[in-house]
This record gives sequence, C-alpha cells and structure tokens, in this order.
Amino acid sequence: MKDKIDTVENAKANFLAAIKDTPSNSLKKDAFLRLIANKGAVIGLIIISLLILVAFIGPYITPYDFLLQNLEIRNQWISWAHPFGTDDLGRDILSRVIYGARTAVILSVSITIISFLIGIVVGSIGAYVGGKVDAFIVWFIDLTMSIPSLLLVIVLNTSLKPPLMRWMETQYLETKNTVFRETIWVDFVLVFGCLALIKWPKAARIIRAQILSIRNKNYVVAARAAGVTTFGILRRYIIPNAMGPVIVLFSAILGEAMVLESAFSFLGVGVRPPMPSWGNMISDGLRVWHLYPHILAAPAAVLAIITMAFSFLGDGLNDALNPRQWE
Amino acid sequence: MWKYIGNRLLLWIPTVLVVLLVVYALAFYGAGDPIKLIFLRAPGDVAYNPERIEAIREAAGLNRPFLVQFWNYLLHLVQGDFGNSLISGRRVGNMIAHAFPITLQLGLAATVFLAILGTALGVIAALNHNRWLDNVISAFAMGVWGVPVFVSGPLLMMFFVKGLDIMDVPYGWHGLFDSMVILPLLVLAITPMALIIRQARSAVLEVLSEDYIRTARSKGIPNIQIVVRHMMKSVLIPVVSQLGLLIINMLNNAVLIETVFGIPGLGQLAVTSITTSDYPVILALVFIGSTVVVTVNLLVDIVFPLLDPRALSKKETKEV
Repeated sequence: MKDKIDTVENAKANFLAAIKDTPSNSLKKDAFLRLIANKGAVIGLIIISLLILVAFIGPYITPYDFLLQNLEIRNQWISWAHPFGTDDLGRDILSRVIYGARTAVILSVSITIISFLIGIVVGSIGAYVGGKVDAFIVWFIDLTMSIPSLLLVIVLNTSLKPPLMRWMETQYLETKNTVFRETIWVDFVLVFGCLALIKWPKAARIIRAQILSIRNKNYVVAARAAGVTTFGILRRYIIPNAMGPVIVLFSAILGEAMVLESAFSFLGVGVRPPMPSWGNMISDGLRVWHLYPHILAAPAAVLAIITMAFSFLGDGLNDALNPRQWE
Repeated sequence: MWKYIGNRLLLWIPTVLVVLLVVYALAFYGAGDPIKLIFLRAPGDVAYNPERIEAIREAAGLNRPFLVQFWNYLLHLVQGDFGNSLISGRRVGNMIAHAFPITLQLGLAATVFLAILGTALGVIAALNHNRWLDNVISAFAMGVWGVPVFVSGPLLMMFFVKGLDIMDVPYGWHGLFDSMVILPLLVLAITPMALIIRQARSAVLEVLSEDYIRTARSKGIPNIQIVVRHMMKSVLIPVVSQLGLLIINMLNNAVLIETVFGIPGLGQLAVTSITTSDYPVILALVFIGSTVVVTVNLLVDIVFPLLDPRALSKKETKEV
C-alpha cells in the first residue's frame, strides 16, 4: 500500500517537474528546442554555418592563390599538397572551391535580401491598398510564376550585359576612374539583379498572404478597436506572428538562389572564369571528367552537400516554426 | 465549361504578349543591331561598311519604329512564321520542329516514370507511417529535391560509368529506347519526385482514417486491393494538381540536363541561341515555353474537377 502511494507521489512529482519547465518556454525557445531535436536540421545548420564561415575567412585559409597557375602540375590527382587535386591549368582545386563558396554566399545573400526587400514592399502594398492594385499585383505574381523563368532571365542577363559594358567603358574613358574597369562587378550585379527578379514574387506572395491572414485575426481587430496605431499593430502583432513563415522562406530562397547562381555560371552566363564559381567549375570539369574525374567531383560534391543541407534545414525550420500546420 | 476555357485563353494572351514584348525590347535595345550581328560572322567586311548596312536595314524594314516592328513580328507569329535564325539562316520553325519532339519525349517519359514511382513510394511511405521505410523514403525525397540536375547528373554519370563501369558515356540523342537515355531520364525524374511523394503520402494518411477503408479492411480485403481499388482516386487527385508545377520544373531542368548530356532538344537550342544572341530563336522558345506551361495548367484545371467534383464548389467559396 505504501509502495503504491509512493509511486503515485513519485509520478505526481515527476509530472510537476515536467510541467514546471513547459510554460516558461517562450515561443522562440520552443521553436529552437524543436529545431535541435531534428537531426537532419542540425546537420544542415552546421554545414551551412561552416559554409558561411569559410566564405568569410576564405582568403586566410586557402593554401594557394586561386589564380596561381602551374602547368607542371596539371590535372594532378588528390595529394597532401593539393587535397582536392589540381585542374587543367594546375590551379589548386581546394582554393578554388573555397573562393567558389565566397562567390556563392555573396551572391545568394544579396539575391535573397533584394528579393525580400521587393517582396516586403510589393506584398504589403498589395495587402494594405487592396482593390485593383492588389489584383494587379496578384496577376503579376501569377504571371511570373507561370512562365519558364530560367530561360527568360538568362535572356535578360545576356542582353543587358553588352550595353552595361559599353556604359562602363565610356564612364572609364570620361572619368578615368578605375572602378569602371572592374568588369567583374558587372557580372555580379547582373546575376543578382536578374535572379532577384525571379525570386521576389515568391517572397511577395507569402508576405502578402501572411499580412492578410494575420490582419483579420481577432486579436488584431481587438487591438485596433482599443486604439493601437497601425505602426503599433505592425510592430507588436503582425511582424512577430509572420516571423515563422518568413524565416522558412528566407532559408528556402537562400538555398534556391545558390543553386540558380551556379546554374547561371554552369551555362556560362553568370560569373565568368577566372573568377571561380562552383557552376563554372562543374562546367569545366564536364569536359575532362572521364580522364580526371576529381576536377568535376570536387565542386559537384560540395554543391550537392550544400543543397542537401539547405533542404534538411528548411524542413526542420518549417516543422519548428510552423507547428500548427501539422495539426 | 467552354466559357471557362475561353476565359483562361483570353487571360493567357496578355501574359504571352507582355513576355514577348519584354524579350523583343531586350533584343531591340540591348543586343544591338541584328544586321551587324549577322554580318559580323559573315565573310567580307560588310559589318564595317555603313552604307551597305544601312541599305540592308532599309530593305529588311529594320529602321522602322519599335512598335511597328513588334506588330509585324506578331502578325507573322499568328501565321506560324517565326522568322529566320540570325546565325544559321535556317527557318526557326524547322529548328524547333526538330528539337521539340526530343524534349517532349524526354519530358513525357520522365513525367510518367516520376508519377508512377513517386506515387508508389508515397503510398509505401504512408503505409509504413513513422517506421524506418517511411523515414528512408522521406529523407531520400528531401535530399534529392534540392540538388540541381547539373550536379546530380554528372555525379551519377561518374558513379555509373567510372565507379560501377556498367554504362557507356551517355551523350547525345539516339531515340527514346536507347540505353543512353536512362541516365538523363533518371535524373530528370527523381529531382522533383519529392513533390509527388509528399502529396501521395499525405493523401494516403488522410484516407487511411476514413470509414470506408476500415470497412474494406474488416471485410478482409487484401491490403494491395484496398490501395488500388479504394485509395487510388484520392491519391491521384493531389498528384494531378502538382503537374503544372512539375512541367515548369522540367522545362527549367531540360535546359541544364540537355547541356550536361549533349541532347539536341529545346534546352540546348535555348542555350546556344542565347549565347549567340540569336533573337528570333529565343523569342520562339519563350513563346513555346509559356504556351506549354499555360496549356498544361489549363488541362490540369479541366481534368481536376472531373476527378474531384468537390474542387468546383471549393473554388467558388475560396477566400483571398
């Protein structure tokens, strides 16, 4: 009998200890705990953090200059001196992969930020103005999503390049400012301008839908009735509540932008050699892969791992931040 | 119904017009003079003879205003005339007639393969809900989903040709029933498979708790028959609804996969025409691409209510 009471007491104590922590968990902590319980997401997060770290400290950790050519050691297989081997010009592939990470991170982060800025502006105009403006925005978003956009953006990129180059050239001749000789920036600006053009409708659509759905919630209506200003409602209710889907969207667009950037370079319209990008390294590697597979394998494997990491992280974030959708 | 189809087609026209106008404007203002583009590659020094250039431009009607030229292009387009390639001088219609069937066969074969395998995997995953097989299938689908075809293609090629040595180097197009088509088909099909697997899986999970499935179970009907006879319809509905998205995905991937495997389809035509600024071809390809997407979306919207009559009433009460 005493044993039984003991176990009941124990169970009660356990239960109380268990629920003691639960209410103190804030929304953020809850989401974080759910995220780190997901193994795939944690691995993805680690890989992506490593990628960003490598992109930042890239120039300090590359064993060789990524442009350094040494024709005596062309196409060398993996060795201690060159952990990923060397390419057809004797350049160290590891150093090029690290610089490729830099290109990928710079471009995809800028693409994502630009798409988000446009998406926030257009999405909130649609949601707040409504009426014909909103209808037009929705039609435009549907339009961009119903055409094979990759092709169109490649066209945009290639046809804007010559006039922009000509403009840079005339600017240089007029001002003698060497900034205008750095044509590598033309590639960068065109790539992230064009890719942001594909990606912003996705951001605008989700942000618009978020604002519309939250704005009609009872607590927002109540706050408005109580006299909270539009800005106050935005800051206190709409932004925090929309944060979950927006973070998921951010990670998704970041991953997609990275893939699109390499696709561009792979097709030869994005970042041009000698500036390393994983895309143009893969396209170089494809020419000689049956003789020297490591030239193709290194950038392809890195890009495959990174994209998988983004998929798993995105899925984990989705589960952690939007638990309601599974109920 | 016919009114609905008519409305959709009427909406499609401004879309295509806007897209064509953008590309035409890019060609007109961005790429520079088509006559120069043609004669820069031609023998002789026509490109450096301003008077000859002016004469040719006059004869071709290229010094008329932008909108007049665009209108003229549209008039020809309506009659099925895409013009001539700037590079090869061949008729664009012929070039496309040559490349389109290849991409179409590849895309259709991949879609069929993908729909069957994806649905099967989704059903298997759902029937093993939260067991290891489910986890493996879900992880596979998610892992493959993000990896672009120009990465998975070469990696698989290296694995099969160099690693296992069971395949010749897949390059070029030798018909749909040649062994060289296996790898491009596989890559094209498994990349977007997550879309189908996820839809099929959640549809089965939803249906599993329905009364009629329980009744079928309690009558002792074998599992396989329950799946085929009683579940298939509710599983296929969400799968069909993904087809439009799938086709866009395939068109985008075709550009990349045809470059990897040297397949002379629309994708490769697109890449070569873009890198050589061959605008008549680009315009035709943009036109065809958006036509295909719109047609598929329209077909999905027409077939969908036939499969799922609830969709019609839902559409009317849809919010936002």
